Amino acid sequence: MMGILTSMLRKVLFNPLNETNKDQDHNHNEDKPEQNASADLQHILDQFKRSADLIHHRYPREGLDVIYFSHMINEDKLQRDLLPPLLAAPAADIILNEQSQFQQVQNAKDCVTGILSGNAAIFYNNVAYLADVTLPASRSVEESESESIINGPHEAFNENALTNLSLIRKRVRSSHLKVIHLSVGEISKTDCYVLYMEDIANEDYLSELIRRIKNVEIDAIHDTNMLLQCIDDNPYSMFPQYMTTERPDTIASKLVSGKIVCLVDGSPSLLSAPSSFFEFFASADDYYQRWAIGTATLFLRFMALVITVTFTALYVSITSFHYEMIPENLILTLTTSRSRVPFPPIIEALLMETTIELLREAGARLPTKIGQTIGIVGGIVIGQAAVQAGLTSNVLIISVASSAIASFVIPSYIMSAAFRLFRFGLICLAGLWGNLGLVIGIAYMVIHLSGLTSLGSSYLTPVAPFQPYDWRDVFFRFPFRLLNRRPTQNRAQNKTRQKMKR
Amino acid sequence: MTKLKEKLSFFHVMILTYMIQTGVVVFSITHLEALHFGTNGWLMALFTSLVVLVNLMLIAIVHRMSNGRSIFEILEKSIPKFILFPIYLGLAALWSMIGCLVAKEYVLIFQMYAFPTTSPMVFKVAIDILAFLLVIKGVYNISKASTVFFFSTIWMNLLVFKALDDIKLERLTTFLFKEGGDMFTGFLNIYIAYIGYELSLLLFPYVNKKTKLMKAVMYGHLIRTFFYLMLGIVSYGIAGHNLLKKMLFPLLDLLAYIKLPFIERVENLFYGFFLFTTLITLVMYYWAAGESTLRIFPKLKSSVHYFVIILCSLIVSTVPVALDQVLRVLYLLGCAQIVIAFLLPVILILLLLIQRRKVVKHG
Repeated sequence: MMGILTSMLRKVLFNPLNETNKDQDHNHNEDKPEQNASADLQHILDQFKRSADLIHHRYPREGLDVIYFSHMINEDKLQRDLLPPLLAAPAADIILNEQSQFQQVQNAKDCVTGILSGNAAIFYNNVAYLADVTLPASRSVEESESESIINGPHEAFNENALTNLSLIRKRVRSSHLKVIHLSVGEISKTDCYVLYMEDIANEDYLSELIRRIKNVEIDAIHDTNMLLQCIDDNPYSMFPQYMTTERPDTIASKLVSGKIVCLVDGSPSLLSAPSSFFEFFASADDYYQRWAIGTATLFLRFMALVITVTFTALYVSITSFHYEMIPENLILTLTTSRSRVPFPPIIEALLMETTIELLREAGARLPTKIGQTIGIVGGIVIGQAAVQAGLTSNVLIISVASSAIASFVIPSYIMSAAFRLFRFGLICLAGLWGNLGLVIGIAYMVIHLSGLTSLGSSYLTPVAPFQPYDWRDVFFRFPFRLLNRRPTQNRAQNKTRQKMKR
Repeated sequence: MTKLKEKLSFFHVMILTYMIQTGVVVFSITHLEALHFGTNGWLMALFTSLVVLVNLMLIAIVHRMSNGRSIFEILEKSIPKFILFPIYLGLAALWSMIGCLVAKEYVLIFQMYAFPTTSPMVFKVAIDILAFLLVIKGVYNISKASTVFFFSTIWMNLLVFKALDDIKLERLTTFLFKEGGDMFTGFLNIYIAYIGYELSLLLFPYVNKKTKLMKAVMYGHLIRTFFYLMLGIVSYGIAGHNLLKKMLFPLLDLLAYIKLPFIERVENLFYGFFLFTTLITLVMYYWAAGESTLRIFPKLKSSVHYFVIILCSLIVSTVPVALDQVLRVLYLLGCAQIVIAFLLPVILILLLLIQRRKVVKHG
């Protein structure tokens, strides 16, 4: 008993003596029996026992067997282009070995994976060949619902990785755009592509990102936002450490600026790394507007950040503890509005903030038509009834509503959600200790943010480390001729972005 | 990827110096100037700043001679450890107490404006928790946080211009240092307002040649001097030395002067912002204390060091209850720190000279 206690205490108090990098030892447990088995027909059929959707065609005269999932492949291509020559030839293996569209597979595992990812397996003399005839189900390229803009391209990524890749290739027509294929998820074996611009992107970041993705051990990955939580630097933080977007134009701009992009099959959002905190406040719109309007919009967004974080908390703090801060003519309005309210400001504020969050969540989950109803009901309940019933004050409604609106001004939904949650903590602190509580909460946030890293680089660039040149593209949107360098955080191999002299 | 040991940059050191120097004395400095130097006492901020520059020169010599070695390495090379360890402990105690009492004074001043009935230790514990969270992140992250805090507080220095219309030059008078008090105590008091730059002695291993450490510290100090002078001129111009003698915290009264259309008495809110500068001051002193205890118990994790340091100083800080007591203790500790700020570089220079001679002999 004592021994266990002392060893635990030692672990807590002392530095570890010889730190072996355990991450390196994490090998994927891939030594399943099937790996060594040869890809003979019976073995493969055994693997797909009880798979009703598997198609198995036999051509006994020609000695051919074809296995595939009909819903994943282009059957037309298979039946019309690939099979007829094989069936017509005196010996099919000549064509199978000659033509590059047929790939011979040695072991059963590759064969099974191939069939699962949309290939047709062709068996001749118990030798397996794969033919790529993939045609996965997917929706067409549509407009982004979550990141809509007014000017600029409207197309958005969809769930099909190949479509997404083609959208990117269409925008970045350079042979320097490299695509590395990986797979994550022990069961799902989801395709994952890492994209970068050769000679621009930093090699250290690239190898680090690939290492992290390879080290992920999870049964299945369903979305990029799920993957990024498995590979970020601070998994316990509330803040997203990699930027995700559904917009091909944004991803193209990230790529050419030297960032590394990761694409997960089955997810419409792509992540770009490394990211900084302030990147989440930029929108593609800023670059399609005139520079002055873009800059003003950026200012507006940062103002929105301040409003959404502090407004309600400040109301609670002032009405609970610091009445002297309200000017004389305003205090009359405020006291009239608060005179009928039976609760202390903190209860009042939490009540209204929770209602707003309920409305938001209900609106997000419902179809648009019912969502409108929720909006109207919520508007009336919050706007009128709550005040008339004497549950809240008018002034609070204004501050809660404006901070809710301000929170939606932040372009990244994940970032704005983080701040909405943080706001609750701040309201509680303000209700407890007034202005000091408010400031303690903000100080905590700054301390937390300054400890965060994204792919090993500082999350607070360009404020800390201080990079004044980057401010041109982060806190302002200077005219393009003045944005000559790539962001410092990307540590790009080629730092110059343009040499336009105009 | 092995995490890169990032070095502090020029800008970070500059900001950090400014932020360590900006503690709680900033609220009362003009009061102290008026009390001890009387008319045009604000000029004393300039004279004291020059003395600080002399001290900085000493530190610069140490930095140049040390070649980036930490001062502890230099000390341990020539002095046996059994002599040094009690000194380290003493330094750690001094530094942690300075940090802790700065926070305590901050809390006590806040209590004068709000929450007079709540126990000050509640706020003190909250601030110490923040300090702990920051100090365990290491000096590089402290400097990052201080940069953010710097940008969120620096604009407040400009608020004094709001009172520009009410400055009357005749309040500055044509006399120099008349109607004052004990000038030597006054000098020490104002010197304490600049204390904090001497922690640059501990930054040697965290910078490289590109940082230009001493230049950065000097610039940080000059920014602080500039704002002290600005504050002095504005306070003297608005209140005059007689009134300043009676105001305990003239800066807060100055801020109380500001009225916005929908908010007034903003000193209450802006006083909160001074938590940021105070936090960096106390965090850096805790960090310094931790650096010296780490030499004695290198096997213990640094977070354990900081935890014990903060806990011990928290317990000790319960002893002085009233603001007056805290101020008196802080004054004494500040004087001790001034002595160390001069003595330590001199000792280090001597040691380095001896060590250099030894190397020459052996060479």
